[in-house]
Amino acid sequence: MSSRIDHHHLPINGQILPQPCSHLVDFRSRNGANPFRALQDCLRVKPPGGHASIRREPNEVPRCGMCGESGGLTRLYACVACAAVHCHAPPGTSHAAVHGESMSPGHEIAVDVDRAELFCCACRDQVYDRDFDAAVVLAQTAASTLHAPSSIVRSPHPENLRKRRRVDYRPWTPDPRERVLMGSCSSPLNATVLDSCSRDFPAGLRGLNNLGNTCFMNSVLQALLHTPPLRNYFLSDRHNRYYCQKKSTVVNNGSKSNAGNPTDSRICLACDMDAMFSAVFSGDRTPYSPAKFLYSWWQHAANLASYEQQDAHEFFISMLDGIHEKVEKDRRKTQSQGNGDCCVAHRVFSGILRSDVMCMACGFTSTTYDPCVDISLDLEPNQGGSAKMVSTKSNHSCNGEADHMNLSQNCGTSTLMGCLDRFTRPERLGSEQKFFCQQCQVRQESLKQMSIRKLPLVSCFHIKRFEHSSIRKMSRKVDRYLQFPFSLDMAPYLSSSILRSRFGNRYFPFDGDEPDASNKLSSEFELFAVVTHTGKLDAGHYVTYLRLSNQWYKCDDAWVTEVNESIVRAAQGYMMFYVQKVLYYKASEKRVVP
Amino acid sequence: MRASVNRPPTPDVGDTQEKQPTLEEIINIKFIESGEKERLMELLRERLIECGWKDEMKALCRAFVKKKGRNNVTVDDLVHLITPKGRASIPDSIKAELLQRIRTFLVSAAL
Ligand SMILES: [Zn+2]
Ligand SMILES: [Zn+2]
Ligand SMILES: [Zn+2]
Ligand SMILES: [Zn+2]
Ligand SMILES: [Zn+2]
Ligand SMILES: [Zn+2]
Repeated sequence: MSSRIDHHHLPINGQILPQPCSHLVDFRSRNGANPFRALQDCLRVKPPGGHASIRREPNEVPRCGMCGESGGLTRLYACVACAAVHCHAPPGTSHAAVHGESMSPGHEIAVDVDRAELFCCACRDQVYDRDFDAAVVLAQTAASTLHAPSSIVRSPHPENLRKRRRVDYRPWTPDPRERVLMGSCSSPLNATVLDSCSRDFPAGLRGLNNLGNTCFMNSVLQALLHTPPLRNYFLSDRHNRYYCQKKSTVVNNGSKSNAGNPTDSRICLACDMDAMFSAVFSGDRTPYSPAKFLYSWWQHAANLASYEQQDAHEFFISMLDGIHEKVEKDRRKTQSQGNGDCCVAHRVFSGILRSDVMCMACGFTSTTYDPCVDISLDLEPNQGGSAKMVSTKSNHSCNGEADHMNLSQNCGTSTLMGCLDRFTRPERLGSEQKFFCQQCQVRQESLKQMSIRKLPLVSCFHIKRFEHSSIRKMSRKVDRYLQFPFSLDMAPYLSSSILRSRFGNRYFPFDGDEPDASNKLSSEFELFAVVTHTGKLDAGHYVTYLRLSNQWYKCDDAWVTEVNESIVRAAQGYMMFYVQKVLYYKASEKRVVP
Repeated sequence: MRASVNRPPTPDVGDTQEKQPTLEEIINIKFIESGEKERLMELLRERLIECGWKDEMKALCRAFVKKKGRNNVTVDDLVHLITPKGRASIPDSIKAELLQRIRTFLVSAAL
């Protein structure tokens, strides 16, 4: 249908493209509804990279039909009308152009055999066609799941549903002024507090007493107390507990409805955080008892129906929720809406995940964006049960299909990057999860791909070490080593990179995702805290490693000790906290010894 | 193995199939068949991005398109424009690394 060519004004990767040349229009009008039929069988995609190429047989070595050149120095093009392959080496010889002229009309359009991109030999320019690109994208999509087990079923964990509970999120990024402010707020503090501190430990390093199996809480609190943007927020008095409590009391007295339970509305986890920050950064080194905090949190968590006791990750999620709810409750709606700003918990930890679900029949894709405060990653790729069980890049390099990017990774060792690769890989949805395609108007096989639309200031990665089986009412812990880097570049997992590396310079059936410059600048992260779990599922112990002033410290409840980084590298990470490099202050990294 | 060298890959192949392939052609085909060429291309792509070469070429192209107007430039024009500059400005370290990889491959392929 030549009428479909009208769509060519639509953007590719956010850019408006010129109209198709007369040769392409002509070719399409000659060849009916499916002009690229012949090419479809020749599309080859090599997983896992997903670069598309044109080969009649998988191992064909194409060469120019006129001079025999096999692509050493020139590009090779296959005529879309007759499949003849010819060379094209501007400004030198172009047997592709010769072919187009001699067979004219109808043989001008050719396809680059190594890139599967259309070229007009008469115009000597790249041309774009929506249907052609759709065919390539579908072939790439199919190939990228070739090695996946045929039925990947993501069991909807009730636990996960609760975690992903929607919050009224509005994206926020600090502007340059705020960044300067955040940076400058930390320096004078270090200078003054350090003097009153012992020489050995940096400011704010203080043990937390175990209040009866509360290491799950202490471990997370240690990480939060040293989360740079959170620390700066509280230490610069942005949530003053005296002010907040006074305000709550006033509100309380004013409304009759709350009179029955005066304590509840005064409970504010942010206030307790404020108190804890003051205590921990006071210079006092004797272990601190976060009893007030525990009490408040317990009051808050008691309302959560399915709270799983003593899981550090569960605690982390529920306490961020707690801070959010209280702050939102205190706000007037008009204030909180539309100003790109939420509670401190979400400003620090919230990112946005993008999920594309593509219909395998027609290529129609629906895209959704979801806020998240952390990313939960599956540990083992070769085990039944949980999701994202597709073969990884590193597996391929083990099989001799070396991918140089993974050569540095040790075969057999799981890495955080490997987990993120799997997390962002296309995943075929099982038959029970067929999604309703708006274009086909029926339920269809589909393919889902996750990527990160917006990075948070602090990225928390949660490694799913605990496997829960609701059927057998059993849980078990996976004791498996996972390698994690001290510096992490998140750029490869951003939506823009994921979609671009998959589909390149093509029309793709996704809604346009504008290139995100701010993401590019802030994709580098530094590790500053690792929460580890040792021992059995029920009789385990949580310990946190903190990186302060470029030195690692082990926080084991009340005991804080300096440790070598090799100990941290060997530790079994359960939660890893990374902060954007721009917020990982160089100034506070080096302790000034007078 | 050798058979594929002489196999007519296209319907309108002329008399080229009769000729003995040169050593250069044999090497090229070995590289393609083994997949090594693809890996080297990927490595090269990566390196050229890392060292800023790609951004440099992009800037050249952008400037040219701006000067000529976006509807008056073809891909061939751009290739013509950047080929000499692009060839000249590839860092020696990258060339050395690729040469080393190629040598290693040739030794392992026992050519
Ligand atoms: Zn030729
Ligand atoms: Zn032709
Ligand atoms: Zn044309
Ligand atoms: Zn408060
Ligand atoms: Zn919030
Ligand atoms: Zn569909």
